[in-house]
Amino acid sequence: MEKDPDKGFVALLGWSLNAVEAAENFDRRYIVVAPDWAEDYCKEHDIPYTPWNFERLNDRSLEIAETLKDMGVDVAIPLYEETVEWAGAINSVLLDNPRLYGQALLLRDKALMKRRAQLGGIRVGIFEEAHDRDDVIRFLKRVNQTLLKLDGDPNDPIHLKAFDKAGCLGHRVIRTPDEVDTIPDEEFPVLMESHLDGWEFAVEAWIHNGKIRFLNISEYVTLGYSVFVPATPELEKYREQITAQIEKLIKAFDIDFGFIHPEYFVTSDGEMYFGEVAYRPPGFKVFELLERAYGFNAYQGLILSFDPKTTEQEITDFFPREVVDAKCHAGCFGVYPRRRVVSRLEMPEETEDHPYFESHELTPPMEETVTKRTAFGTHWGLIYFSGDDAHTMRDLLKRQEDLDFYV
Amino acid sequence: MIEGGQHDESKLAMLLAKLDQATDILAQARDFAKPAKVGRVLDTARRVLLQEGGVAALEARAPSLEEAGIFRGTDWASPQILIPSFTPQSLKSGNGQTVALEALSELRLLAVAKGDYIHGNVSAEQAHHYLTQVLAINLGLLFMPLSEADRETQGKLAEVPRALFQHVANEIGYEHVIDQLIDEIWRILKQRPIQVEPVKQMITQIALCRANPEIELGSSGQGADRLISSLFGPTQASREDPGIDTYRERLLAMDEQALQSEASGFARAMHDTGLVSSYHAVLLRYLLEQENHLVAEAMGLTATGRDCLLRYRRLVQALIEEAIHPGSPQAVYGLALTLERGILFQPPVVPALWRQLALPLSEWSKMRLRMAFGEEVSLRGRLLEGVLCMLGQPLGVGQGNNPTCQSARALSMWAYNDPDYLLQMVAWAARDDEIIMHFEGMPLSSMASLSGVAKELPMDLDPVSLLVVPHLDRIYAEMGRRCIGREGDPHRWVNPEFHGWWAGRGFHINVDVETGQIKDLEAFLRHFYASYHPHYNGDQPLIHPQPAGIAITDSACRFIGWHAISLLRITLDPRNVMRVYFFNPNNDSGQDWGDGVVVSTAGNGERYGEASLPFEQFASRLYIYHIDPLEHGEPADVPIEELNRVSGYLYRSWGADRLPAQELQATPDAEGEVSPQRTGG
Repeated sequence: MEKDPDKGFVALLGWSLNAVEAAENFDRRYIVVAPDWAEDYCKEHDIPYTPWNFERLNDRSLEIAETLKDMGVDVAIPLYEETVEWAGAINSVLLDNPRLYGQALLLRDKALMKRRAQLGGIRVGIFEEAHDRDDVIRFLKRVNQTLLKLDGDPNDPIHLKAFDKAGCLGHRVIRTPDEVDTIPDEEFPVLMESHLDGWEFAVEAWIHNGKIRFLNISEYVTLGYSVFVPATPELEKYREQITAQIEKLIKAFDIDFGFIHPEYFVTSDGEMYFGEVAYRPPGFKVFELLERAYGFNAYQGLILSFDPKTTEQEITDFFPREVVDAKCHAGCFGVYPRRRVVSRLEMPEETEDHPYFESHELTPPMEETVTKRTAFGTHWGLIYFSGDDAHTMRDLLKRQEDLDFYV
Repeated sequence: MIEGGQHDESKLAMLLAKLDQATDILAQARDFAKPAKVGRVLDTARRVLLQEGGVAALEARAPSLEEAGIFRGTDWASPQILIPSFTPQSLKSGNGQTVALEALSELRLLAVAKGDYIHGNVSAEQAHHYLTQVLAINLGLLFMPLSEADRETQGKLAEVPRALFQHVANEIGYEHVIDQLIDEIWRILKQRPIQVEPVKQMITQIALCRANPEIELGSSGQGADRLISSLFGPTQASREDPGIDTYRERLLAMDEQALQSEASGFARAMHDTGLVSSYHAVLLRYLLEQENHLVAEAMGLTATGRDCLLRYRRLVQALIEEAIHPGSPQAVYGLALTLERGILFQPPVVPALWRQLALPLSEWSKMRLRMAFGEEVSLRGRLLEGVLCMLGQPLGVGQGNNPTCQSARALSMWAYNDPDYLLQMVAWAARDDEIIMHFEGMPLSSMASLSGVAKELPMDLDPVSLLVVPHLDRIYAEMGRRCIGREGDPHRWVNPEFHGWWAGRGFHINVDVETGQIKDLEAFLRHFYASYHPHYNGDQPLIHPQPAGIAITDSACRFIGWHAISLLRITLDPRNVMRVYFFNPNNDSGQDWGDGVVVSTAGNGERYGEASLPFEQFASRLYIYHIDPLEHGEPADVPIEELNRVSGYLYRSWGADRLPAQELQATPDAEGEVSPQRTGG
């Protein structure tokens, strides 16, 4: 698309084909900042590109900021968890605002972020850092003592998460001290949290000039398996409360622009508990689902919300009205093989023949033996659905859990 | 049927709408983003290919699909460099997208060859030549039933290449492939399958090609004369395929001698090919009306058959009236062979057939028969045709494209060995919708059992199997479930209880169920030799068919799966080689199992429907057998050289990665498919 030189120039940190495609079809200039393995591909397809290996921040970090500044880039947009602090560092230079780097570090560390949220008056569960297995056992015992459990009662589980990984990666559920022994050394330190019995959901919020411009509520049917947008009316009825929570979050983290992706629990008495927040697009292809449901390109929305040159009118016109403007519900399901030994991919007819079925990204199995799942995380591919009824969608996604896609 | 048809049409329309949508997305995507959008197009295309009329619909869309960029970045983007001999590889792939892509490429070239699509890189002549070669190379896919290997690696996907080539051959012309086709038809017919519909379709295709003046067959297709005539005009009076009514009129005007020549002409054709012409049914019914003595002649009966006919004339008359119609001519062959086997002399069989003649069918049975065969012949007549064919051709039973080898084997065994029991099963299934069998004293009802081995109700079966197999399959699966938790392989207990008292209670297996590794091979082989090989068992011929399990391998010796067969005879063949003759419920027994082990179906002393291998080669693929422990032969007499040859075959094929621990480190983790918990095929 023809680029408008009066509008912003953005740098995309990390390689995402869908983001590149969206930027290519948008009126802003853009450049991809990615490791050098992307170079050939970008050259071949005339994609603006500058190489950078995102390792830990070091003395050379300023270099990429300077390079981008010299090119005339206005703002850097993180696409992955690992590039969030880079975006903070780069933007503190580009936008001449040192506070942005501190903010990014806060958003990268799950323990720090919980403390900050707590300070901002947001409810969080009980949490603590663990540096070794003894810490985990102590925490498990303490949490269950607090719950007035007697010896021999089944424990309430606790959740372990890596400090700085995206979403479900490295997420473990621990119920007994025995299970603690299965955690490899290299996963420490970790964040431990008490288990909240409630309805977990995620929010995607586009922010510009400190205001929420579009707020989506993503409903998880089963965490780690499936998600759909817009949510059912039963969850959407909390929208007002949720919006208030997000506003608190924006204030607590002092977020002026960009995009956040927090997770919450709502307990049976309607209380919201903050889980965590990320400053980057969500996994599980929620952006793609939003495009399917509403028709707007969520990556382009991302560019708009980061670009300091975006006007009030422009961003207001860009986003549709939440829920009412959705043309359908769109959802996806992450497939995990259920058998120990699989030989081929075979889509169940029931799934393919459902009128809501759209497409899938499953690939044939590379190995016959399926490694046992210890943590949440890597599904073998996604299946996409879309249709008019939220409850049909929810039940359909739930049903997929009982089907074999690999036989 | 009509409702079903409409449903299919609307499904095709829905899929095509989805395909067009996916194609649009692909077409609009920028070059670098196309690879991510191709999958959706190919997946939808694969589903379209599985629908009736889907292949043609895709051919029509070929140009727009190519333009959208479906082939971009792959070898298929340059059709001029494609090599026909690579096509079987991609069409037999387990990856649905690869199969769909290859199919789309063929359809695109078909459109080019027909002049519907002007392509920048290939001419119509080039495309035509390429497709001809592809057809010839993939001839097997054009008309052969699915093999075990296809089913294992591809599942439902295996139907795609078949639908594709049916269409391409129709469009491109059969004349290019016809001679190979004829050889294959003869090879299949020599196994005398009960289900001849696919063969009849192929012969009809050949006949249509030959009758079509626009098709230049040249010198090809000469060998098809006998095949075509046996269906459409085997005798003097039917030679030019005059139509049923005309032929009946001609019969009225015939004298005894003319009728005699008609009768023997039909009988010869039928026994030659195993195929029966509709005119044959007309003649037989006419002779019956006339109370003519030529009935025996028309069925080509020998002494035994004639005796049966004369002794049970009323029954045979009733069977002909009910089962034999122009729409069910194969019943003639079934009846003739039933009479020839002399089984009517077994006391329970005749009254059981009278019951069959009056058997009321349940609504469910009627519905199943109607869906599979229509109502050209009365449903009870259709079932009776199936019964006669199964009694007459016990080794012609096939499992269709279903993982129900166990049930097909049981039906065949009963038809062969215990015909009145088979008739009892048919009565229970067809009338009561329930079969009860006992497992270790506990009754198992097919109604109460949850599920069978087959996930869907099989449809592509003969009438008897159609009604009985779903029950048997559930009972077999339930017996397996009752064995959960027992050590070792469940067939030890299931096989004798499922098949009949004659299945030996002694049981041998050479695979360790826990690990999938070969175990106790030498003892396993010694006992097999001592019980079955006439040189070591005191020259005792096999008395009853025995269930056995084999490890099926493909032509490259790779393990495909566990499969159920029955042992029938072990004897010297015409060349003095000791051979095992066995029944394989797979639809085509002629298979290449690799390493020179090629299963023969004719020319080595086989009777119709038997498969055979030299004893050593057979033993090398065996993994389960039953014996009578009291008739154990002389295991120690078998020379070790002989056993070494067998294990050589074994370790060069399915045993290659199953070496026991003392010979090689075993992988402790192996489980699931590698272990023979259940015979899949």
